[in-house]
Amino acid sequence: MRSLERRQVLKTASLAGLGLLLPPELLRAAPSPRDAEDVAGRGRWLVFTAHQAAVVEEATARLIPGPLDDPSERGHPGAREADVTRYIDTMLGALSLSPAKVFAGGPFSNRAGNPSDDMAEFIGLTPGQAYGWKRRIAGWRHQYSVGIASLDRAAGGSFIRATAAERDAVLARNEEGFVSLLFAHAIEGMYSNPEYGGNAGLVGWRDIKFPGDVQPRGYSDAEVSRSDGPDRYEPAGAAAKLLNLIKISNGR
Amino acid sequence: MVLAEGGHDVTILEKGRNYFSELVSARPGTVFSNDELKSDRNFAEADPIAEPRVFRTSPSDAHPFVGSVQALPQTVGGGAVHWDAKTPRYWDIDFKKLSLLGPITGAAIEDWPFSYDEIAPAYSEIETLIGVQGDVAALPELTLSHAPRSGSFPMPPGPAQYSSLVVAKGCERIGLHPFPAAMAINSRAYDGRPVCNNCGFCSDYGCPIVARIGALAPLRRALLAGAELSDRSWVVSIEWSGRRATGVSVMDESGRRHSLSADLVVVGANPIETVRLALLSRLPDPHGATGRHLMFHWFTDGSGIFFDERLHAYRGRDHTHDIDDFADPDFPGARKAANAAGLPYFRAGKVEMGGSDRPLGEAQEYQQILSYVEPHKPFGTAFKQLMRASLLRDRLLGLVLMGEDLPYPTNLVDLDPVHRDFRGLPVPRVTYSPGRYELAAQAFYMPWLTKMLDAAGAQVSIAVPQQSSSRFPISAGNVPQTDHMMGGMRMGTDPATSVTDATGRHHQLDNVFIADGSVFPSSGGHNPTLTIMATALHNARQWL
Ligand SMILES: Cc1cc2nc3c(=O)[nH]c(=O)nc-3n(C[C@H](O)[C@H](O)[C@H](O)COP(=O)(O)OP(=O)(O)OC[C@H]3O[C@@H](n4cnc5c(N)ncnc54)[C@H](O)[C@@H]3O)c2cc1C
Ligand code: SF4
Repeated sequence: MRSLERRQVLKTASLAGLGLLLPPELLRAAPSPRDAEDVAGRGRWLVFTAHQAAVVEEATARLIPGPLDDPSERGHPGAREADVTRYIDTMLGALSLSPAKVFAGGPFSNRAGNPSDDMAEFIGLTPGQAYGWKRRIAGWRHQYSVGIASLDRAAGGSFIRATAAERDAVLARNEEGFVSLLFAHAIEGMYSNPEYGGNAGLVGWRDIKFPGDVQPRGYSDAEVSRSDGPDRYEPAGAAAKLLNLIKISNGR
Repeated sequence: MVLAEGGHDVTILEKGRNYFSELVSARPGTVFSNDELKSDRNFAEADPIAEPRVFRTSPSDAHPFVGSVQALPQTVGGGAVHWDAKTPRYWDIDFKKLSLLGPITGAAIEDWPFSYDEIAPAYSEIETLIGVQGDVAALPELTLSHAPRSGSFPMPPGPAQYSSLVVAKGCERIGLHPFPAAMAINSRAYDGRPVCNNCGFCSDYGCPIVARIGALAPLRRALLAGAELSDRSWVVSIEWSGRRATGVSVMDESGRRHSLSADLVVVGANPIETVRLALLSRLPDPHGATGRHLMFHWFTDGSGIFFDERLHAYRGRDHTHDIDDFADPDFPGARKAANAAGLPYFRAGKVEMGGSDRPLGEAQEYQQILSYVEPHKPFGTAFKQLMRASLLRDRLLGLVLMGEDLPYPTNLVDLDPVHRDFRGLPVPRVTYSPGRYELAAQAFYMPWLTKMLDAAGAQVSIAVPQQSSSRFPISAGNVPQTDHMMGGMRMGTDPATSVTDATGRHHQLDNVFIADGSVFPSSGGHNPTLTIMATALHNARQWL
């Protein structure tokens, strides 16, 4: 069964498709956000300047807040705690590493009984993959440098000096779709395998009770076949609205 | 396998890389893993920027889609590396559709060159080779009457998935006939490979412990018989003159080409790439039949949401139970509904029951949904609350109905006149849309999906077509991703209406054979791969 998964693959594919639309000049001189010289940032980040990293960190912390960002998230780590900024920086700099940090290795991590972490050893790209990722990443890097600057501009000069409410208002405006891209990447950094640089301490998975990769241990027959017992959920807030939307669309 | 064991000197050319070590051992090593991001990033498939495909619903489609269209893994092992290996048999009426069910206006309904009874021994042989679990005693009478079996499955079913059990019980309550799905996954150690440990990263993932061997089993037999495997070897054309192929032109990963001579060429690149290769090679096609009658299966999703418990469908083999009541043209009410739509009959097909989504997929759904339900702040705590409640993953029970596609001459693959891949070769262009048959069957069975979920106890049930159509123009991005591809080089006795003969041999070239789903004259209503393998085996035995 592919269905449920394929839907989202298509959506990410349309984001990835942006790489196709890039004018060729951009590829030749893929502008690094680091062009905006920032000495303090060197060494800590592959791609970001210290300022860019700070904007990304503060913006993703509004998109996926943790306890420091929203008091109602006490006990629930968010993008900041999961180190989503590190994930994004690693992705944007993936091709400067050897092997490129695009596809983690396998078959196992060391989280479910294997002594070593095979996933930490990334797999080299095929020429087709290298071609695609070069364009994809060049597109994203361009969007990040333009998008971060536009967040600053929309916040009256400095996004990180704006209040939480101002930041939210800027993000909700989603100028040129940059916030959609940032949110999509923040999601990846939050809930993907930690070898990619995010999901630090597995906080993303823990918050949603997802065990993550489980090989080579797997699940017992009982864990597969039995109910985990009652776990009642009363839909409220966005969930209630979501259910309403589903009911309406079902009625057509 | 058949050719190598028959004493031929065989070279297997695979475009993609080999992500396995020790293919001749019982249990190869692999780098496939439980990693959702790796799968999202198309680790095993062609990169959609480097090697896009074009999709359009008709020649007048003003907005063709360019990108990932029915992309299957491009690697040693092919799509059978990434499948969850559900291996039902086709039914007798699939092989004799014209004789047993009759014609449908607008579609090229034909019988296959062989019957169910004739291919049954090849089914059994493949089931033993790749190791299929299942329970004959639990199969419904209807299934056994259309696909009779002589013995038991090589392995008993593994543990049932809780989500599948919940909906199976619901199905029984409303008179449907659920059963443990046949699947080529080890429920015990088999042929030197370990039992599946239900890791849950099954469909769309290579099995990290190789408890699901798939196409690597016949490949291993071929290698043991002396065949050579050459990965990173992209066949860019078949060279031919008169009625014979003389060899192939192969491009390596660096883009360099070389020729390889051959007495016999067998193509199994999957319909879209097989047709593309035939067209790139300008294989003789006097009747313009190459690429036509493409079939995909017309998928419909059902989703049930449960407030009282979490169904943990992330544990297990994607799903473990099926029904195939809807593959029956005489399902109660179906003939009447078909007649009302101006059709003599219609069929849908099998329903896979109990799967769900994974965290990245779920989170991306909420990202989209929040822009509708919380437009002033479509992010933040609301997003995290949705993730924790997990209505669309841990509390979701998914159904997938695969509907039979009819063979229409207008559904086809050809070469796109504009787009080229990163090596400069024209990319395949797919032109495909459903006909009245598919849409009428979908309209009839869609309410059944919600009925099944209601009976299972879901608080909210919904059924949605996976692809957009004239009836459901969902959005431009909804191109088919059913992974089931059939037709394009169909078998038949008449060279005017088919491309290959009764054994898959090219009508115009005596030593070119096609060995994938492209030879199927009809699509059936079940997953195709067991039938692809059995057809290849049945045919190959006649080439020697
Ligand atoms: C997520 C997922 C789940 C699935 N689940 C099921 C299931 O449960 N049951 C089922 O029956 N089916 C399932 N399928 C479908 C199944 O994978 C395919 O039907 C099957 O792989 C088809 O086999 P094939 O050998 O004909 O083609 P493929 O498996 O596509 O193999 C073709 C190979 O040829 C190579 N190739 C292509 N062109 C060239 C060229 N020019 N030169 C050299 N090499 C080339 C490709 O790289 C590929 O490796 C699933 C597929 C996916 C992706
Ligand atoms: S569920 Fe079983 S067969 Fe599927 S990938 Fe995991 S171990 Fe392999």
